[in-house]
Amino acid sequence: MPAEPVIQIRNLSKIYRDFWGRKKVRALNSLSLDIHKGEVFGLLGPNGSGKTTTLKLLLGLLFPTEGEISMFGKPASDVSKNERIGYLPEESYLYRFLNAEETLDFYGRLFDMPAATRKERANKLIELVGLQGARRRQLKEYSKGMTRRIGLAQALINEPELVMLDEPTSGLDPIGSREMKDLILKLKDQGKTVLMCSHFLADVQDVCDRIAILYQGELKVLGKVDELLKEQDITQIRTSRLSPEAIREIEGVIARHGAKVDGVDHPTASLEDLFLKVVHESRERPGRRFMDSPAVDAKGA
Amino acid sequence: MLPEYVAFDLKSAALQWLLILGVGASIALLFAFIRSFALYGTNGPNEVGREIVEGSKDFLGISPRRVGALTMLTVREAIRRKALLVFVVFGILFLFGGWFLTQSNDRPELQVKVYVSFVLTAIQWLILPVVLLLSCWGLPEDIKARSLHTVVTKPARRNEVVLGRMLGFIAVGTMVLVVMSLFGYVWLVRQVPESAQSQLICRVPVYGALKWKDREGNEATKGINTGDIWEFRGYVEGATRGRAIWTFNNLTPADMVEVQEAGKEPVERLRVESRFQAFRTYKGNMNRSLLAQITLVNAAKKLAIPLKPFELSEFGNVVTLIDRKLTYDDDASKTKKTIDLFDDLASDGTLTMEVRCLDANQFIGMAQPDLFIRKPDLPFASGYFKSIAGIWLMMALIVVLGVTASTFVKGPVAMILTFFLLILGSWFHSFLDQLVKGSVQGGGAIESMIRIYDHKNPMVELDPTARNRIIKQIDKIPFFGLRVVSQIVPNFDRFTMSEYVANGFDVPFTEPVPPYDSALLPAILSLAAFAFPCLLLAYYSLKLRELESK
Repeated sequence: MPAEPVIQIRNLSKIYRDFWGRKKVRALNSLSLDIHKGEVFGLLGPNGSGKTTTLKLLLGLLFPTEGEISMFGKPASDVSKNERIGYLPEESYLYRFLNAEETLDFYGRLFDMPAATRKERANKLIELVGLQGARRRQLKEYSKGMTRRIGLAQALINEPELVMLDEPTSGLDPIGSREMKDLILKLKDQGKTVLMCSHFLADVQDVCDRIAILYQGELKVLGKVDELLKEQDITQIRTSRLSPEAIREIEGVIARHGAKVDGVDHPTASLEDLFLKVVHESRERPGRRFMDSPAVDAKGA
Repeated sequence: MLPEYVAFDLKSAALQWLLILGVGASIALLFAFIRSFALYGTNGPNEVGREIVEGSKDFLGISPRRVGALTMLTVREAIRRKALLVFVVFGILFLFGGWFLTQSNDRPELQVKVYVSFVLTAIQWLILPVVLLLSCWGLPEDIKARSLHTVVTKPARRNEVVLGRMLGFIAVGTMVLVVMSLFGYVWLVRQVPESAQSQLICRVPVYGALKWKDREGNEATKGINTGDIWEFRGYVEGATRGRAIWTFNNLTPADMVEVQEAGKEPVERLRVESRFQAFRTYKGNMNRSLLAQITLVNAAKKLAIPLKPFELSEFGNVVTLIDRKLTYDDDASKTKKTIDLFDDLASDGTLTMEVRCLDANQFIGMAQPDLFIRKPDLPFASGYFKSIAGIWLMMALIVVLGVTASTFVKGPVAMILTFFLLILGSWFHSFLDQLVKGSVQGGGAIESMIRIYDHKNPMVELDPTARNRIIKQIDKIPFFGLRVVSQIVPNFDRFTMSEYVANGFDVPFTEPVPPYDSALLPAILSLAAFAFPCLLLAYYSLKLRELESK
């Protein structure tokens, strides 16, 4: 039995109109879905598919043309629901003239936190997102990655039960991206609900329990990532390295059972894995080139 | 119909405010119902009701901490975006301003007037554009940069956003104003020439109500008009029963001043200052000015004590010192009698002074503020900083209007709108009031056109023909619109108090002194009267708009 729904969306539609009230574009069409407590939910889709619109409707930044939204049992227009929500926008639209400490203190005040709690939370979050060395620098001096990190910190200032992340790994380097994904999983472990929109399919695959794919404002696919990605017609067996004779023998067994071997190969790591391995190695052994992979020859070609 | 225009009166002002607020709210509600019905059908009225309930909850649940956070944010933003560069302009003005102000030929009080006017005008017109720009651009920039998204997705209510912004800009303006006013005060004290330093004063006047008697001694509604187009002063004819009668209330012995005469003990006297205007119908004695005389009257006790006649002063005030013990010739007993000013004449705190002109066929012009009892003076700083308080109130009103405008239009439009209100309210409000009161000769637009066509001057009444009656009725329609405009455009004259200080007077608290229109209490109430509906309007404007609208 699924956990209680944190977000309930029913027949949600959004039509953008021009100044004269004429219909310009239908950004969302009768979307219905539930997001449950403790799950990591991904909203996917190409540009203009309506995923950011959905997020903004949930946050009350846009008003629905039709349909209903309920978050923690309250309508999207109810500001009190925001006490349990953390939001990281697509771009970090923070106040660029504030520094990291002032930023977190400001957002903490918006949650009516007392000074001591704000200070404690700010210190903890600055450490969590790795901005200790830049805590007194104004955000306008930050790189894009640093801006994303402080954006994430502000989204977590109130220890939210629901975290809404719009393109969370956008602008982050692979290390930052991995850290973000680890953090999302950590939030999940803490029992928090995460709703994220992303273009980076690998990221979504890595962290999401369930996904919804939108196309031109309509829901096309909704389900668990594992189930959606599993190809029931193909069986995959992974073993340690085998000799050519052993491979031939296995192929024989498969043929006897009436099946066909599509290919025998060594698995390749993802580029992200390779990149992280190189960086990790370089940190461990400064000054030495990464020679672990047989694909990299002595000339570095 | 809206009530007739009246001069500032607390009770009628409060009633007028409630009426206008009620009418405005009714129109807004009607519009809301129609729109919600169009959008949500029969569920529309419920939506309007829900918004009203939510709005009430938001106003009741305002968090000082959140408002404080937004105020602090606004202050930081202004400072870090170099709004304080205004001090550079201010500094340059004051570095070189003195070069152009020193005119040693002028009379001391005029020199002081020039200096004080320069300082207060410079402060006012430097600070107003700064807060105008800041308040009109703050929120639209926030919306454009989407920084506001990170605020409204927290538990911050839209009214807190508006209030925080307003208070923040007011705080920035206050900081600038405090520095400028302190600097201006020191500059004034140091820069005013030595010879004019004695005129840096703050006179505390007590004004009386003015009534008139005509040449036969009958009561009149106003004095004689000698042809001056500015009807500020009325005139009394010399050597007739014509009088200008001032009645002062709530006088106490504490209103007397200590006067030290050479070689004598200091004594307490009632100081009366007057500044009348002479109008000669013939040359007369050119070696002296016209003669006037004040008579102290207590009608109930049938007492009339004439004081020593005095000559009018062309370029200054005439000071009349009244002793507490007054001696007069009692016609009934043919003896000299002595009475006490406060125990006998003004025993209930009310003192009446009648002023007459002694020169036959000559006229003396007087207005209500031309004669006053001058209480012990206050330090010059007292009047100066009260005038600064007037600038502060005006600045706060600009912020309120600017922030409100910026919730429904973009920065440049908000700026033009607020600037338009400032200009209209500063320079054209009195004209607007005169139009509404019907005191501008010549009628409305169509009547004026007819007069041009018929070659009739504005003073001549139009013939009571059917055509002219219809024209007058049609002309009333735009006048109604103007009346509404005059009620909703703030009168910025109420905030300009520099004239009092420049003329060496204290700023009045409750009643404006003609010909000026400003006093502290009306200015405070004007700000409050605009702040509340503006806050409400800005809240709903920000709440009912899609911040992410494409």
